[in-house]
Amino acid sequence: MDDLLAEFVAEAREMLAAVESELVAWEADPGDRTRLDAIFRFVHTIKGNCGFFDFPRLEALSHAAESALAAVRAGTREADKPLVDTVLAVIDRIADLIETVAAGEPLPQEDDRPLIAALAAEGDGPAGGFAPESASALQRRAAPMAAAPRSIRLPVDLLDRLMSGVSDMVLARNDLARRLRDAGNQPAVDGAFARLSAILDDVREGVSRMRMQRIENLYHALPRVVRDLAGELGKQVVLDLQDGDVELDREMIEVLRDPLTHLIRNAVDHGIEPPDERARRGKPEAGLLSLSARQAGNRILLVVRDDGRGLDVERIAAKAVAGGLVTPEGLAAMAPAEQLGLIFEPGLSTAERISEVSGRGVGMDVVRANLEKVGGTIRVESEAGEGTVFVLELPLTLSMVAALTVTCGEDRYAIPRSYIEEIARGSSAAIALEELGQARFVRFRDRRIPAIGLDEVLAGKSTREAGTRVFVIVRLAKGDRFALIVDSVLDSEDLVVKPLAPAIMNTGIYAGSTLLDDGLPLLILDIPRIAARHGLIGSLTTVRQQAQEPAPRHARGDDRAILFTDAAGRRRAIRMAAVARIETLERGALQREGGHWHAALDGAILPLAGLGADGAEDAAEDGALTVLRLRDGTAELLLAARAVEDSATIEGPVAPLPGEDLLEGTAMVGGELTALVDCHALFARHAAGAPGLAGAGLRTCRLADDDEWAATFLRPLLESAGYAVVGPEWTGPVDLAVVSEGADRAGRAAARVLHVRAAPLAAHPGDGSIYRYDRTALLAALRAGQGGAA
Amino acid sequence: MSGGELHLLVTIGGCRAALPGAAVQAVVEIDRIVPVPLAPPHVAGLASLRSRALTVIDTRAALGLAPAGDADERGGDGRAAVVRLGAHDYALLVDRVEDVAPAESDPLVLDTTLGPAWDRVARGCIETAQGPAVLLDAAALIEGETGQSRSGLQGEVNPSTIGRTAKPTGD
Repeated sequence: MDDLLAEFVAEAREMLAAVESELVAWEADPGDRTRLDAIFRFVHTIKGNCGFFDFPRLEALSHAAESALAAVRAGTREADKPLVDTVLAVIDRIADLIETVAAGEPLPQEDDRPLIAALAAEGDGPAGGFAPESASALQRRAAPMAAAPRSIRLPVDLLDRLMSGVSDMVLARNDLARRLRDAGNQPAVDGAFARLSAILDDVREGVSRMRMQRIENLYHALPRVVRDLAGELGKQVVLDLQDGDVELDREMIEVLRDPLTHLIRNAVDHGIEPPDERARRGKPEAGLLSLSARQAGNRILLVVRDDGRGLDVERIAAKAVAGGLVTPEGLAAMAPAEQLGLIFEPGLSTAERISEVSGRGVGMDVVRANLEKVGGTIRVESEAGEGTVFVLELPLTLSMVAALTVTCGEDRYAIPRSYIEEIARGSSAAIALEELGQARFVRFRDRRIPAIGLDEVLAGKSTREAGTRVFVIVRLAKGDRFALIVDSVLDSEDLVVKPLAPAIMNTGIYAGSTLLDDGLPLLILDIPRIAARHGLIGSLTTVRQQAQEPAPRHARGDDRAILFTDAAGRRRAIRMAAVARIETLERGALQREGGHWHAALDGAILPLAGLGADGAEDAAEDGALTVLRLRDGTAELLLAARAVEDSATIEGPVAPLPGEDLLEGTAMVGGELTALVDCHALFARHAAGAPGLAGAGLRTCRLADDDEWAATFLRPLLESAGYAVVGPEWTGPVDLAVVSEGADRAGRAAARVLHVRAAPLAAHPGDGSIYRYDRTALLAALRAGQGGAA
Repeated sequence: MSGGELHLLVTIGGCRAALPGAAVQAVVEIDRIVPVPLAPPHVAGLASLRSRALTVIDTRAALGLAPAGDADERGGDGRAAVVRLGAHDYALLVDRVEDVAPAESDPLVLDTTLGPAWDRVARGCIETAQGPAVLLDAAALIEGETGQSRSGLQGEVNPSTIGRTAKPTGD
């Protein structure tokens, strides 16, 4: 009898969890027959099961709900809000009673009549009454009972014991298999053994999955939470639950339950604005709260996103200072993202009013603490007026992970398969290893991605010879790729991740361990942490997209650069996007004619920039010259370099260097102030063809070296009119020179000279000068030059 | 207190030591250790015991002695005491497993030093039929020297540090 009761409670709990989300969905769309059926099925099953036990209250409640819902199904009653609320209240009470039953206590004698009466109150009498409608209900009994999958509850340690027992069996099986092989062919035994082995594999798979639960189990309660809270606060919230089929260790589900509920409540309470405020801001009246999940290798990413008012960084900061969590000086030193992170500090609550819902000062700090306890992290991003995103990252220890086993030297390691994008043999012609400073890159499928040897990661030594090795191209969550160079790839298999001892976790490169079928432990590599440790994140991934576009002069967001020493020995940087390749030229491949260098490369003759008149002798010290091969999508040119140092990030803004027309400006690159090569100017000057710009139909314009106004104000106009602007160091003939008042040095060797003056009125009428802001006249003069050239 | 209680008597670096019998789950022979690159020096690697993964602690290295990777040097025993700390199983690889014997005394607190390496892992000393033995703290062995200096993470154990910090012991 006790077993029966326990099963009744277990089944009722499961159905309750499942029905909650149905209820809210049904309320949103009362015409949804499927939802209605599911809810009806629930109360109906409860009622039916009560029959075995003496629970008159449960029976009366479920019967009343069943009757009301039956009327809705029959179309004689409408699913209006009072009805839905009452049905929810009834289901809540049923849930309470079931918990009382579970606790083994007698059911309290409370009066259910008002609730039952409320159920019957709406609509017309007979439909809402207590007349049994068992005829139709009985007919439907068979289907609903079969629909709910039966489940039992087991203590987790029993599962663990079972799992470890099965693992032992697998090891013993493998041992036996080896012995059988050694003993030679024995048909009588081999067939039976093969069958046993196959069965064991099935059992093992089933047992491994026993600990896993779909994240849906976590979602069930949320629609109700959101609905109730939103109703209480007079807000409208659409809850979007995605990726319910992602599987998670069942223990992890339990760990996540409270933090997630808290985040959801917070978002509804503080994040999403009341409908009128949203309308004022031009947002839809109903806020969107979405939850998505993703398995990324051995981590689970959970994202809680709302489109509400966002976090108020300043108020968080002010509270943190007021609460003594941070000093004003400390605060000033923090980046905005760090200031946002203060919400996870104990004792900080930004709620203006202490609401019943959240904001009691225990909250985000507890959320973070709970996640950290299991090795997880939480971070927040927020934009005022746009919303807030919480990203929860959890380890997947104790879960299965599909992995690739690889070798490095004598030892084997596993790489979670979810990271692996592609595997390429080093002997393949499609792959090429390049070195840039101390970094290595592979060029593969038109992409240049950073590469690192696993031996380098593990032992700090790198093997240069790559021909026999294998490149595992891995892709991180943000889309960054890098290549891990291993000695060989062994196999692909599902592994049970076991946690590692702290001393080993502290190395920062392993995610867990597993036991292979031969009984030996295997270390699983932590790919994101390896990437972070070796600076492989966020580097060259933009090469492909950028390289196909014309080299952008002001490519915002393309902030990677290659650091090199130019032919004159100066430290220079060039935007990575423009660099197609790094080549080495034999001295004999260089040729100088008419002040211009050219080089033969791959059967083409390319202009070579960056060399002075005798620069090649200096730069090409040992008979070879390093050049950066630049490509703007159509044209190519080479830029001489004495040495290629490194790749680095351009930090902060680029300060223009007026007058330096082959330099875009100066910026912090790799921690030092470095001049940045202006790819546009380079191409403008060199790539248009030999022997110079004039021959290619491009017109040149020289500005005076001290004419800052022209360099900054006039230059865009000149360029848009089709002139290549050169600095005073360009001593060759130019089509046009712009001479400001009082300066005439730029005028030499120019086909035309454009005089501009600062004053609106000419000092000497008829001197041919143009007021410098007389745009029409300037453009006309520039166009006139065009006509003249043609 | 623990007089009469069983202890596992082992030899580490030629010195007799004892582990409380209650803490030792098993004594196993470790035949193959999978190395863990970048792990602290006292972590010899991983081994498996049936379906469990064991973190193998080289107790010599944990004491700052030269790690004895060579079984012959350890005495050809290759045996380890399995203990559980936190949620993890460790195999404490020792030179030799001698015996299981009852302590003939309560642990004696030493008012003199055994040298800094031993002081860190010693709970005291017990008398046994075979003579006195250092009573070991398994947790301190497992923590190794990294518990004291984070820089030990990748560094090698430098035997000279032991000599340098050793106080002369006036008997």
